Amino acid sequence: MDQWLDRHMGRLFLAPAVVLILVFSIFPLIASLILAFSRVRFTGGGFRMRFAGWRNFDKQIFGSEQFHLLGTFGPLSLLGWIVGLAATAALIYWIVRYCRSHFTVVGFVGRMITFAMALGLAWLFAATLLSGRPFGTVGTTLFYVIVGCGVQFLIGTALAFACSQHIAGSRTFRVIFFVPMMITPIGVGYIFRMMADTTKGPFAGVWQWVGLGDWSWATDPWAARIFIVVADSWQWIPFVFIMMLAAFESVPRDLNEAAEIDGAGKWMTFREIIWPQVLPIAATVMLIRVIEAFKIVDLPNIMTSGGPGIATESVSLQAYYAWRSLDLGSASAIAYILLFITVVICVSFFNLVVLARVRAKP
Amino acid sequence: MSRGLFEPRKIGQMAPASKVALYAILLAWSLFVIFPIYWLLITSVKTPAAVNEGPFFLPWVDFQPSLHAWRDLFVLDFADTVRAYVNSIVIALSSTALSVLVGSMAAYSLSRIAFAPNLITILYFLVLLIGACVAIGVFGADLWLTLAVAVALFFLLARAVGQLYTVRLQNGDILFWIISQRILAPIVVVVPIYIMFQSVRLLDTHVALILTYAVVNMPIVVWLMYDFFNSIPRDLEESAQLDGATMIMTFREIVLPLSRAGLSATTLLVMIFAWNEYLFALFLSTSRAQTLPILVAAMNAGERGILWWTMSVAIIIMIIPVVVLAIVLQKYISKGLLVGAVKG
Amino acid sequence: MNAPSSVMTAAAKGISVRQMNKYYGAFHALKDLSLDVDPGEFLVLLGPSGCGKSTALRMIAGLESITSGTLTIGDRDVTEVLPKYRDIAMVFQSYALYPHKTVGENIGFPLKVAKTPKAEMEAAIRAAAEQVELQDLLERLPGQLSGGQRQRVALARAIVRRPSVFLMDEPLSNLDAKLRGNMRAELKHMQNTLGITTVYVTHDQIEAMTLAHRVAIMKDGELQQLGTPKEVYSNPSNLFVAGFMGSPPMNFVEGALKDGVFTGPGISLPAPGQADCPSVTVGFRPEDCTVVAAGEGQLDALVYTLEMTGDQSLVTFRAGDTPLVVKMPKDFEVAVDSAAGISFDPGAACYFDVSTGRRLRTAG
Repeated sequence: MDQWLDRHMGRLFLAPAVVLILVFSIFPLIASLILAFSRVRFTGGGFRMRFAGWRNFDKQIFGSEQFHLLGTFGPLSLLGWIVGLAATAALIYWIVRYCRSHFTVVGFVGRMITFAMALGLAWLFAATLLSGRPFGTVGTTLFYVIVGCGVQFLIGTALAFACSQHIAGSRTFRVIFFVPMMITPIGVGYIFRMMADTTKGPFAGVWQWVGLGDWSWATDPWAARIFIVVADSWQWIPFVFIMMLAAFESVPRDLNEAAEIDGAGKWMTFREIIWPQVLPIAATVMLIRVIEAFKIVDLPNIMTSGGPGIATESVSLQAYYAWRSLDLGSASAIAYILLFITVVICVSFFNLVVLARVRAKP
Repeated sequence: MSRGLFEPRKIGQMAPASKVALYAILLAWSLFVIFPIYWLLITSVKTPAAVNEGPFFLPWVDFQPSLHAWRDLFVLDFADTVRAYVNSIVIALSSTALSVLVGSMAAYSLSRIAFAPNLITILYFLVLLIGACVAIGVFGADLWLTLAVAVALFFLLARAVGQLYTVRLQNGDILFWIISQRILAPIVVVVPIYIMFQSVRLLDTHVALILTYAVVNMPIVVWLMYDFFNSIPRDLEESAQLDGATMIMTFREIVLPLSRAGLSATTLLVMIFAWNEYLFALFLSTSRAQTLPILVAAMNAGERGILWWTMSVAIIIMIIPVVVLAIVLQKYISKGLLVGAVKG
Repeated sequence: MNAPSSVMTAAAKGISVRQMNKYYGAFHALKDLSLDVDPGEFLVLLGPSGCGKSTALRMIAGLESITSGTLTIGDRDVTEVLPKYRDIAMVFQSYALYPHKTVGENIGFPLKVAKTPKAEMEAAIRAAAEQVELQDLLERLPGQLSGGQRQRVALARAIVRRPSVFLMDEPLSNLDAKLRGNMRAELKHMQNTLGITTVYVTHDQIEAMTLAHRVAIMKDGELQQLGTPKEVYSNPSNLFVAGFMGSPPMNFVEGALKDGVFTGPGISLPAPGQADCPSVTVGFRPEDCTVVAAGEGQLDALVYTLEMTGDQSLVTFRAGDTPLVVKMPKDFEVAVDSAAGISFDPGAACYFDVSTGRRLRTAG
């Protein structure tokens, strides 16, 4: 018995985690897929499911909810055509160049999926935003992901680099910069609602002075979106900051000094010596942030409830609203669309950016 | 200043102008970080009048601080507040304990033992699982009967199916599978989880939230602790093994004490996530198991608009435990989490 | 010091390794190792890094699985037995001291695992600590000890349980040179008094020569020669062993054997009884040679350098591309770049087949 336990202890150590993930992650994932293809109707005690085929997806992508998920379509503007065609050309060039260099079937299929997703998103962008029509929750979520993560990454990295210089008081700054991470996202949402109040908030005077005293940012789609990104960044820059700080500090100091002795300037040292060494970590940090950013739901819900209209609604929030109106099929379909976009973008990013960097290192 | 004006700067030293610019940037950002928190603190001691009549900045100078909002929350709504608080504490602590324990056990065994599961057997298992789900959900087959048939089929044929064709997975694949669960947005799985707990009548209980949070946070634990365990020299465990210790004993006596830094950092992170979680709580708790984020979010819905003063108090009491925890675990955080995480 | 000591309690057990193999994927790390270790013997596995000696040791310990072959300790087949049931103790190169436990707790850990009663445990810890002179440091943490003291803790932890076999994986390599000499003597003394069968892995031939009852020399996962230190030194069975043992190593000159005479570039030696062979290496030890005037020895060459090591002088010659070293007394002087002769007893030379590396023995 003892011997048997000893031999199988490794599996017994792993088993609880695997079972928990199977029950609470894999099984719901499958069940959700089935729900996405069903029509769910609530009856007295429970509910009934009927197979509905692609109808749930159809409704979201081509049907009555198209404006909600993707945006309102119409004839493309000139700018839309230009950007769309340019993106298409660039993507085709990318694929052709890949096929000419080192072709593998798996690599090609993977890149084709990336290609299709990028093409779809590019034309979505061209058809809605660039043609002057409102976009849907997918566009809003991508806005949060791209602009939010970009801003967080730039500012977080810059602050981390500043703090990694040995200057007096850098410890204090580190502690201060870390603080927003400890504040609950709900709290961040409400605090920024207070801050942004144009009549009672701390900057009321400023608003009045520029003549926006009665204006409310919550009624302007772009102002509302930007405000959510500001709040999100306030909360998550510390994360980027602290990871990048550790990365900068892990670069051996003598490399720095050697470069300086060799006569390299600050910028040169940064670009040639420091940046290549922290790049893998930067890519990983970015990946983590992007994964989390796709899930955004609490800030829009707290700060604007998705309004004005659907301007700040993320895909997660849309699925939540669908669930609240007891449309389980649509909720699951929307969630699956989100999952698909997230997985394709994250896996593409991981394979084409993170792994490429890792492989490039000798 | 003993250094002459025209003497060249030492290696690694900055020009005075760039130093000033650097401090200016750092101070500006500090202000941006601190001001919202300051505003939160002073709003919590404002009376409704002091909030509504426009921005006041300095207590005692601009306005008279009062504990009016604190009294509201702790005296008038005492029962609600305390219940949510206790719920949050119970759920955050238990789910963190569960996920750190289970996650670090898994991480440990992945970092030390070579597994080689057969992909084909796993696919067979998945096909059975999907089949069972379809049978139950769409065709209305009996739950227990279908499960029994599926389990029986799996154990009867697993070996045979596995021998048809063998594709061995490695530890890295298992690790990736566990970590990739983090990509799942909660919204994708929450509806089935809701139905699951509803069918066993566990909706709106602590158990439902504890289990769900534990699973959602497990990928983080496995990822961080895997790196951390890999950094512990194996000699120590091999030596313990030769001395006669079992794996459990080695884990408890040698590995866990040595990973205190990593464990503390991971615990803190997971605890923060569990403490702040919003979406699952929104679905899985209504009243009895209601947690703090839901309580705070629900304050939105009052008919008099948002009572900013009470809201501020609620947010502050929500932040306090996290800050306390961070201070307690502070000395481990810098060397634990960051080093481990950044290496990965 | 051969008198059996009263301390000796554990019955020493022999180890028998039969046809043991280890594969890591396609890599053959250990090839058909077979050897027997007698009860109470001190066996040293010696070889360059990557030769499979550590793998062999870890397989005996049970830390690596045995791909094929059998392993017996005492009369028990332990091929498939988990390490903890093999009744062995191991000292690691890194000492593997538990950093969060005190010296006393470290030494007592094997007993704690075995659920020994407290009083008995304390007595055993004390006894083991006294044996390695650590009795005053029991409350310290390993981080507060010097390298030599840590080494002693590791030893004490190994002896406290009275195992039937000791395994040591380069235990002295992290110590500085002077301390290593002291510890070597202590180790030998201890093994002698305790009489526990010991398998010791090292790449340092001096350690091997001084400690071992028998030395097993390995290369590329294969056993090259097994014998007493004296045997492997003076009677190497192949070119590798001959070149590996001794510092400075044996001198080699290539040539051919014909009619009982070895001829190489600028050298001719009588080799009575040796069979003919077209490509042969002759080897002779630096300490068997003397430097003589040019033309008086077996071989003439140019003096390349002269090194004083304190107790002796090493004279390096260059004959073509091959360096030849001669050990001379400490006050020996010779001019660099001058021509000189090397003289040695042709009977002490060893002959090796170049293609197989095997030693050529005289017929009969």
